Amino acid sequence: MKHRHFLSLLLDTILWSYCFLASHKIIYNKIIMEIRYPEFSWGEPLVCLVLGLIVSSVIYFLLPRLSIGRAIYFKTYAQLNKPLLKRPYIYLGLFIFLITLISGLYVSQVSLREFFSHSGLMGAKRIFIALFTPNFGILEHALFAAIETIYMAFIATLFAIPVAFVLSFFAAKNLMRDSIVLIVTYSIIRFILNLTRSIEPLIWAIIFSVWVGIGPFSGMMALCIHSIASLSKLYSEQIEGIDEGTMESITATGAKPIQVVWFGVVPQIILPFISFTIYRWDINVRMATIIGLVGGGGIGTLLMQYQGLAKWNEVGLLVIIIASIVWAMDYISTKIRQAIK
Amino acid sequence: MLKVKKLNKIYPNGTHALKDISFEVKKGEFLIIIGLSGSGKSTLLRCLNRLIDPTSGSIIFEDEEISTLKGAALRKVRSRIGMVFQNFNLIPRFSVLKNTLTGSLSRTGTIASIFGNFSKEEEKKARSFLKTVGLNGKERSRADNLSGGQQQRLSMARALMQNPELLLADEPVASLDPATSHTVMDYLKKINQEFGVTIICNLHFLSLVKEYGTRVLALKDGEIVYEGPPEGIDEQWFRTIYGEDAKEVRIK
Repeated sequence: MKHRHFLSLLLDTILWSYCFLASHKIIYNKIIMEIRYPEFSWGEPLVCLVLGLIVSSVIYFLLPRLSIGRAIYFKTYAQLNKPLLKRPYIYLGLFIFLITLISGLYVSQVSLREFFSHSGLMGAKRIFIALFTPNFGILEHALFAAIETIYMAFIATLFAIPVAFVLSFFAAKNLMRDSIVLIVTYSIIRFILNLTRSIEPLIWAIIFSVWVGIGPFSGMMALCIHSIASLSKLYSEQIEGIDEGTMESITATGAKPIQVVWFGVVPQIILPFISFTIYRWDINVRMATIIGLVGGGGIGTLLMQYQGLAKWNEVGLLVIIIASIVWAMDYISTKIRQAIK
Repeated sequence: MLKVKKLNKIYPNGTHALKDISFEVKKGEFLIIIGLSGSGKSTLLRCLNRLIDPTSGSIIFEDEEISTLKGAALRKVRSRIGMVFQNFNLIPRFSVLKNTLTGSLSRTGTIASIFGNFSKEEEKKARSFLKTVGLNGKERSRADNLSGGQQQRLSMARALMQNPELLLADEPVASLDPATSHTVMDYLKKINQEFGVTIICNLHFLSLVKEYGTRVLALKDGEIVYEGPPEGIDEQWFRTIYGEDAKEVRIK
């Protein structure tokens, strides 16, 4: 019970402190005082935290019906029998939403004036005209780069498959729970995979462009690493969802562990595996174009070069080619995945 | 051939599924275990071939203590005990023949089995067992294209491939209709009588118990409440096993 009191008071404090901080920094400093670069000191959030604690404590003990924490952790304060807008704590929620909306608009510098400014509109017109009159003079060059991208994605996927296939069995909880050694292996592999996956392929490409030099190889490595992590996760989730009865029946025949996996697990997951892999190839082709932007080779690198030179007609052609590749890959992968279902 | 002494199973969540279970099974018997869902029938059967590890107690199979075996020795014992399941547990995408052949995995090398290289002899044996259970002509069909009764017969053929001395049947007819249930039970009886395989079978229906069993074990809350001939279960016993308000359902 005390645990719940603590959690709800903590929640209230966080919410109120946030209200104070956001109102002070955005609404007071920027909008009312119109300071362009307000000074920041760590004392400000600290003061807000103390204020938040005081206000939320007062509310928590004297006006419990206003407390969101109480409403979440205690059924009686949720006032479920009343309509939504008759519950006092809802208004605090709406206030927090409003503050976040105003701050959000301000922080992302939404400005209708600039969106509709004359020079801005002229620039947009110029670039759109250029994009829609692509320069077919570089078609050959662009196509070769596009082929590089597709092959790069293909090799990345192909190399990732066997590694991910093997790793996925060690990352599947239902196969790894029988002994301490297995559980430890499972946890380590899971941790490494999660870590690898949380680093975007774009970052991997930057790392590998330093490691193996700028070009398709670094892009391929980036895609491959990320594919291994993602495919292992998808594969292992599929393994975790199998019907364990088949495993049980194969075990009961006295089969060896590898045979149990091969006959009891693999036949059930092979189709979803193929489906995920094709989907992954599709994703890799898309990503390969982006990765090219940071020196991963292929059509993305070309795009980067022409964009840097402000050659918008050439960029227009590249955009058309990228769009058609992505569309074609999407179409093909959907068709194949439907066919093998 | 099988002696179970003071067998206990306590699951990690604290459920005491088996409490001091002791019984013996003689060669050639058709022992039926009855009891409500959750009475420990499935747990007991799975302890016998160690799909579940018992918490304490001993299981002696053909004069060998098997409750503590590990690795290769355990697999060897498992290969001598066949098992059929309520949900058949076949490999749905594999052919009938290949499913039958999985019964010979313990005798086949790992690499050979991965490449599907089962010996000609095994294949011949598989075909003859498929004939035994009346599935000849279906060898090439996919297992998931068979009806429920056919799938259960296929799982029996798979168990026969192990040349089992003991066959465990976990609710073999619970997901089948009454007519098919009888066919499947008849095949179990045939395996029992013609091949001399000892059978331990979990069942729901008392009418089937009286027709097929040579002996009955009744479990209630993890304890044996009745042991004896099927005819011995009268109205009184029935209420003890299934609770005061139970009514017997017969399947013809």
